[in-house]
Amino acid sequence: MSGGPAVRISIESSCEKQVQEVALDGTETYVPPLSMSQNLAKLAQRIDFSQGSDSEEDVEGEPKDREWGKQDGEEEEGTVKFQPSLWPWDSVRNNLRSALTEMCVLYDVLSVVKEKKYMALDPVSQDPAAGKTPQVFQLISKKKSLATAAMILQKGAEKLSKSVAENQENRRQRDFNSELLRLRSQWKLRKVGDKILGDLSYRSAGSLFPHHGTFEVIKNTDIDLDKKIPEDYCPLDVQIPSDLEGSAYIKVSIQKQAPDIGDLGTVSLFRQQQKNKAGMPWHVKLEAAQNVLLCKEIFAQLSREAVQIKSQIPHIVVKNQIISHVSHTYISLSISLCHSTGEKKNNRASPEKPKPDDHLYVLEHNLHQMMREFHKQQLSSVVMPHPSSAPFGHKRLRLAGPLAYDKAEISSWQQTEGLLEKIIKQAKHIFLRSRTARTIDSLASRIEDPQIQAHWSNINDVYESSVKVLITSQGYEQICKSIQLQLNIGVEQIRVVHRDGRVVMLSHQEQELQDFLLSQMSQHQVHAVQQLAKVMGWHVLSFSNHVGLGPVESIGNASAVTVASPNGEYAISVRNGPESGCKVLVQFPRSQIKELPKSDVIQDAKWSHLRGPYKEVHWSKMEGRNFVYKMELLMAALTPCP
Amino acid sequence: MEAPPVTVMPVTGGTINMMEYLLQGSVLDQALESLLHRLRGLCDNMEPETFTDHELVYLLKGQQGNPFILRARRSLSHPTAPWHLRYLGQSEVGDKSRHALVRNCVDVAASHSLPEFLNEMGFRMDHEFVSNGHIFRKGAMKIVVSKLSRILVPGNTENTEHLSLSYLVELSVLAPAGQDTVSEDMRSFAEQLKPLVHLEKIDPSKQRH
Amino acid sequence: MGVTCVCQVPVAEGKSVQQTVDMLHKKLEQLGAVKQGSFCVDCETYHATGNSSSQPSKLLYVMHNSETPLSCLALFEGGPCLIADANFDVLMVKLKSHFQNAKGHKVESRGSRYRYCDFLIKVGTVTMSSSARGISVEVEYCPCVVPGDCWNLMKEFMQSFLGPSVPELPSVFAAKPEGLFAPADCVDTMTQYLELFNKLRKLQIPGSNVR
Repeated sequence: MSGGPAVRISIESSCEKQVQEVALDGTETYVPPLSMSQNLAKLAQRIDFSQGSDSEEDVEGEPKDREWGKQDGEEEEGTVKFQPSLWPWDSVRNNLRSALTEMCVLYDVLSVVKEKKYMALDPVSQDPAAGKTPQVFQLISKKKSLATAAMILQKGAEKLSKSVAENQENRRQRDFNSELLRLRSQWKLRKVGDKILGDLSYRSAGSLFPHHGTFEVIKNTDIDLDKKIPEDYCPLDVQIPSDLEGSAYIKVSIQKQAPDIGDLGTVSLFRQQQKNKAGMPWHVKLEAAQNVLLCKEIFAQLSREAVQIKSQIPHIVVKNQIISHVSHTYISLSISLCHSTGEKKNNRASPEKPKPDDHLYVLEHNLHQMMREFHKQQLSSVVMPHPSSAPFGHKRLRLAGPLAYDKAEISSWQQTEGLLEKIIKQAKHIFLRSRTARTIDSLASRIEDPQIQAHWSNINDVYESSVKVLITSQGYEQICKSIQLQLNIGVEQIRVVHRDGRVVMLSHQEQELQDFLLSQMSQHQVHAVQQLAKVMGWHVLSFSNHVGLGPVESIGNASAVTVASPNGEYAISVRNGPESGCKVLVQFPRSQIKELPKSDVIQDAKWSHLRGPYKEVHWSKMEGRNFVYKMELLMAALTPCP
Repeated sequence: MEAPPVTVMPVTGGTINMMEYLLQGSVLDQALESLLHRLRGLCDNMEPETFTDHELVYLLKGQQGNPFILRARRSLSHPTAPWHLRYLGQSEVGDKSRHALVRNCVDVAASHSLPEFLNEMGFRMDHEFVSNGHIFRKGAMKIVVSKLSRILVPGNTENTEHLSLSYLVELSVLAPAGQDTVSEDMRSFAEQLKPLVHLEKIDPSKQRH
Repeated sequence: MGVTCVCQVPVAEGKSVQQTVDMLHKKLEQLGAVKQGSFCVDCETYHATGNSSSQPSKLLYVMHNSETPLSCLALFEGGPCLIADANFDVLMVKLKSHFQNAKGHKVESRGSRYRYCDFLIKVGTVTMSSSARGISVEVEYCPCVVPGDCWNLMKEFMQSFLGPSVPELPSVFAAKPEGLFAPADCVDTMTQYLELFNKLRKLQIPGSNVR
């Protein structure tokens, strides 16, 4: 079928027309022959487009004259196909045939194209508009793509910032939890509903104070994220009961004169400026509140006792002050609760003139300590029973039955001194001690000869302290140490112990101690003469601490000593009284006296060995810086040179 | 002029008509630690204490009726502490409104001559055991977690053998008769111990059968 | 608690119990003793109702002393004794079906308490079924717990106001080993009171029924 190119083949359709119908009169109606386009359409319908691109190409590039041939081929194929697959290689043959057909068609097309007479292959023309528009389009598209990119970036950034914020929030949350953990390790907390409540009362430590002492833990995490977080920011805050806010202390002071009743109860002595409490961390807040609570408890306890205790002069409780009279009408102990709740009070405190600090810090401290002791007592009194089946109760009470405790022992448990009684006793002691010190100091500064030294012991009991008083003469400390006094200062009286063990009790009156010391000082001088005489080789002829003769001293007794020179020629007699002062007499040997009184009895020369009369020494005119030194000079002068 | 008959005789001292309110339960040895932990949290802020007690149960048989039971207990950990002599009356379990077992109770602290004296009175020791464990306190409530041990050689408290692999938990309150509100407190406390231990009112008289 | 001696003081010739007691008070006050409140010692007697027919029923005494207000002493004559707290009385009520209170056997001694330096003196009237049976005098020397060491001192002191009717060393002390440290305690005191009460109980005072 594929003839060489030299042979031209004209292909025409047969003229035979298909009979459409035969009319009754015998005329045949023919189906009109298909026009070229109809024919093409008909052929085109036959083409299976899904078969592949090759055939498509064929269709496109096929010249019209070749179509028929193709049609023939197809028809032929159709006839072959009509035959059933009679032999096994039928499909292979068909495929080979169709492949051959395709190859032939391709060959024809290529040859046709080569001739360039009938067909030319042109490149597919590009759309000329597409080349012109890009600038506008590019701009738009670039913009669009940029926008999308920006959006993606923005989303990412948002996500990041959100996670950062979340992290921070988490951290705060974590901070809150860790703070809570810290709080929990130091304070008692419990959860009530959705609140966290804490207990700052001393109840678990044995306090019986009825204040509930509850604080609330607040989560402080919702602060503005945009603002800068302050330095001392804490995610945990505590809410303290309003009556425990601020700070408080107990002020104990001794007042010399009874205060005007109108002035009572207005003690507010806040000198130190209150810190802004908003910035305080929770532990500071809680500690302050707990301190307020303890102060309140102490004051409540003292007030209760002040009302209950019967005393000669009743204790006065006014507002925040307790006045109790110590031992004398003109000295009273004032205990006041100073509690400042906020800034308002500070303004009020300023007009008060700065008074000298009259706090008795020791007593304030002791009050706290005693309160805690009381707490501890409460706590330790409830012990677990042994054996375990026994009922709860005081251990002492459990023992009392089986051990047959007697009345005295049982009653000794019951009477316990109250806080107020104890503190009054301590105040009395402190007052007595300070007054003793003042008395000794004033004597020491007033009287130079002899000297007084006071050695205070550092370790004291709250009700007793002691001081060692030495009376010496300057320069003669080693030989004149006769007077060593131990003063045990108690609550109401002073117990004086001499070196030799004698005990003298002195009352709290200042004058008594002063008089006693004065008499001791006067005795010291006489003792000093005695000691000096020993050193100087003089003989003590007589010695008396309490002379029964002579003028009566208003304080104590005068003491006297008489010493004789080593060879017995001279004698010195000293009389020293606390009030009258010292009087020194020297006895000369009779032989030295020029104008002897004329006596009828002792005319004989042997009587010249008798002791002569006494002459008083003008002591104030004697050389020497103190009494003992003067005495030494005197003795030296009267001792004959060897 | 005769002395008044015994029944109306005034009691010279002592507290009359004390009642013991009791709830009991038990935990296995393995659960002890968590129970103690919970109790430490719930109970008063006291140092939890351990104890070792030796209890002797004495019977006095009369001509008729049930024998009279007295429990004498001494502390082995505190040998100088007085003995504790205890009389426990019939338990009142019937009342459903009460959440705890209630029984009359007389607690006497006595000198160490108690066993000798009880013998002289005609009492005979029925059995003895050693109880050791922990004791807690919550207000008036006493919580005793104890392990009971059998005494192998009579009188020798060193040689003992555990009775079981569990601890006895007792929640008790001593109160004057008529104060039934305490049982309410006990119930709410027992609730807080669940599910570590279930404290119930257990009738000892039924237990014996 | 020191060494205590309890003794019976005979009623003075031609005087009533109260008059004799007053006389003793007067003598003590003359010595310089100071009255310090009052005292009371009582004793209940119980006997077992049990079936212990094989052994004779022993008497159980339950005693109280105001000097030891929280204690209660239960003792068998010559047997063991128990010191307990006041709840022991409640227990005895519970035990009433086993231990019966011997009716009309309640004895008590009431009187005044005097202190003279280290001595504590209690002069009491012993009553039984509200009839006065006699006078008891208790002397305690507080600083000492060894009877042998202070007996002579006590004897001398008692002579100063009791005159010739000074007792011998109480048998409770005599029974204790000589020379060994045997502290006296409340049981010794109560044993002496019990002995005194039992002596007075057996003693039939002719006129007692009248009062």
